[in-house]
Amino acid sequence: MRKKTLFRGSIAVSTAAILAAGVLGTPARAADPITISIWTFGDVIQRTLVQEYKNLHPEITLQIKKSDLDPLNGTNMVTACTSKTGPDVVAVEVQYSGYWRSYPKCFTDLRKMKTSEANVVAGIPAGKTALDFKKNYLPWRWEQGVGYDDSVIGFPTDVGGLEVAYRIDLFKKAGLPTERGAVGKLWPTWDKFIATGVKYNSKLSAADKKAGKGFLDNAGTMYAAIMNQGTEKYYKNDGTDAGKLIYDTNPQVKKAWDTTIKATEAGIGTRIGQYTSDWNIGMNKGTFATILAPAWMMDYIKQQAPDTSGKWDIASLPGGGGNQGGTQLTVPSYAKYPQEAYDFITWYLAPEQQLKVFKTYGLFPAASVLYDDAALLDYKDPFFNNAPVGKIYAEGVLKVKPIFEGKLQRAIDQAIGAGLGRVAAKKMTAVKSWAQVIVDIKKVINN
Amino acid sequence: MSQLKVKEGRRKAPLSPWKSANPKKAAKSKKPSEGVASLDHRFGIPFIAPFFLIFLVFGLAPVIYSIYISFYKWDPLGGSTFNGVQNFVTLWGDSDFWLAIRNTFSIWALSTFPQMAMAIGLAVILRSKRLRGASFWRTIFLVPNITSVIAITIVFGQLFGRDFGIINGILGIFGVDNIDFIEGIVPSHIQIAAMITWRWVGYNTLIFLASMLAIPDELYESASVDGATKWQQFIYVTLPQLKNTITFVLVVGTIGGLQVFAEPQQLAADGGSSKQFLTLTLFLYNQAFVNNKYGYAAAIGIAITVIVLIISVINFLITRRISNDGSGR
Repeated sequence: MRKKTLFRGSIAVSTAAILAAGVLGTPARAADPITISIWTFGDVIQRTLVQEYKNLHPEITLQIKKSDLDPLNGTNMVTACTSKTGPDVVAVEVQYSGYWRSYPKCFTDLRKMKTSEANVVAGIPAGKTALDFKKNYLPWRWEQGVGYDDSVIGFPTDVGGLEVAYRIDLFKKAGLPTERGAVGKLWPTWDKFIATGVKYNSKLSAADKKAGKGFLDNAGTMYAAIMNQGTEKYYKNDGTDAGKLIYDTNPQVKKAWDTTIKATEAGIGTRIGQYTSDWNIGMNKGTFATILAPAWMMDYIKQQAPDTSGKWDIASLPGGGGNQGGTQLTVPSYAKYPQEAYDFITWYLAPEQQLKVFKTYGLFPAASVLYDDAALLDYKDPFFNNAPVGKIYAEGVLKVKPIFEGKLQRAIDQAIGAGLGRVAAKKMTAVKSWAQVIVDIKKVINN
Repeated sequence: MSQLKVKEGRRKAPLSPWKSANPKKAAKSKKPSEGVASLDHRFGIPFIAPFFLIFLVFGLAPVIYSIYISFYKWDPLGGSTFNGVQNFVTLWGDSDFWLAIRNTFSIWALSTFPQMAMAIGLAVILRSKRLRGASFWRTIFLVPNITSVIAITIVFGQLFGRDFGIINGILGIFGVDNIDFIEGIVPSHIQIAAMITWRWVGYNTLIFLASMLAIPDELYESASVDGATKWQQFIYVTLPQLKNTITFVLVVGTIGGLQVFAEPQQLAADGGSSKQFLTLTLFLYNQAFVNNKYGYAAAIGIAITVIVLIISVINFLITRRISNDGSGR
């Protein structure tokens, strides 16, 4: 019976962890020193800025709890909102924004909050509501933090401007141009991108091919990139809160699927999954020459493949303008210290701080007031061959069109991702796999 | 059931053969002292009450509640509506459910049987009186069991990596093409089974070892007097004596096998692109905590219970046959 309890234990532990997170995450209401509890993932909250805030406010402790994205924006937040106990600040990724915008009851309406005197010294005026800050940010990114009842539930942190990171040395070896402007001209369209990939692969030696080398890290990543270049995804904004499901009729979905399948069948990708150990190793070994890289991925590449410094460069994305990811900082309705949390957010996501974060960690600011700021435009990154990354990503981000995000977008994305995986692994034909995708999506939507 | 049997068996045979059986002493120690006898046996109730209270709150209540919500369309944020038996009807027609059953039993078979053979083999080695540092080895064997599943999955994920994994590297020496231990159905099951085996083989070894130590030395002595080789002793003395323990390990392994969750979840949270390693509990978890279909998930939970019940009955019948045929202890 022991084994039974242990196995059940693993489930119990995860459940308990969620419950514990709900209970323990809430700071005890102490007299003066205040602990703001923050639930986040990845590098949304940067250590150096936390330290800076500590210097500004010695009385406030920022307690950061990191989780993986899916449990964080899924189970943990659902549990917290149901039990009405939890953190003071939660990071919500845009893939989940559609879901959480439909539950504004779980968040503090930031239109009703006013900044206190706390950060006047740091340049944040007192008495300002969320609407006073709206003008600082990219309008469509701001919308991703607006509930379906028009309440403001979150401030945008970064925008995942998407470009192509490529290896100069490998391009040279394959006889392709290496200068970033010329590289960008290789692929004005996705079809040209695929053609470049085929050309690159044809130059690989037999040994390289056997070692699984290829042009792009994973052809499946093209799907999200193409998808986000449209104006609609799986939902049409028909004036209702939830929107109307159009996943099976939207031509953009079909186009993104077909193009990705074409790239997969052309074999331009290495089929290495992103964020796997193989991916990290491949980055160092030059297993792939390109990655569709959102701005925030630059820091990841630096961390994982420090020895490849200077060998990378950034070129523009096929089709022009791309976006992937980005986060909203929200104050839940059950926060213990909504005022302090709001003060923290307005400071942390103010343009000055976003610029610092961009320079240190490459998270591209959602604060659009910075986009004509020389400090951003002139910023060059030596790791990426001194590419003017600020300028490149700013240009790309401004081309992105706003997309209406629906409630179950993440689940639909996952079903389609699995479908692409089946084709890539040659487990199913594209047609069969798409049929399965539709079945899977219907299962999620219905019952 | 079987657990009780094993315990009875153990009680009859003293735990270690060399401390063996002075029948008089045993009879003496069985006689309760007067002090204990004078106590009202109800006195014990407060001592076990905490367990039952906790079980009531955290064990029984959730079970009853999940039976209740299995008849509802139940979303923690969106509210609930009565759904009748619709959840069960949907489940019966859900191909993912049958896929999960297939995967669960395949992983169970791949992890249980090789593991059992290995555990018995290791127990024989650990039992050997020529082995030095016996307690050291016994402790070492238990270490995998207390290792975090997450850590195990990360390490095994690297070992089984498709392109740079060491296993494919070794297979490559023999000219085998790289195997995709995630996308392939059987390969992915092998990877998960390997993790389970690694984690549990030591634990089962110790169970077998305890049971082997309880086999009286006289049996081996008389066997060797009769001219039995070591191998024959193993086949004709050790194995028959282990019958009940094997059943016990099998039952426990089956129940554990039906609950395999963390390993596949860590490999790919959705159970793979073709759901090739979606197990029953992972299926349940994803319906509840990813898709927020708590009612449907509760129905899956009940289905798992039914499957466990069926297997328990089969196990019970087999155990009864074994203990009836007289050769078991």
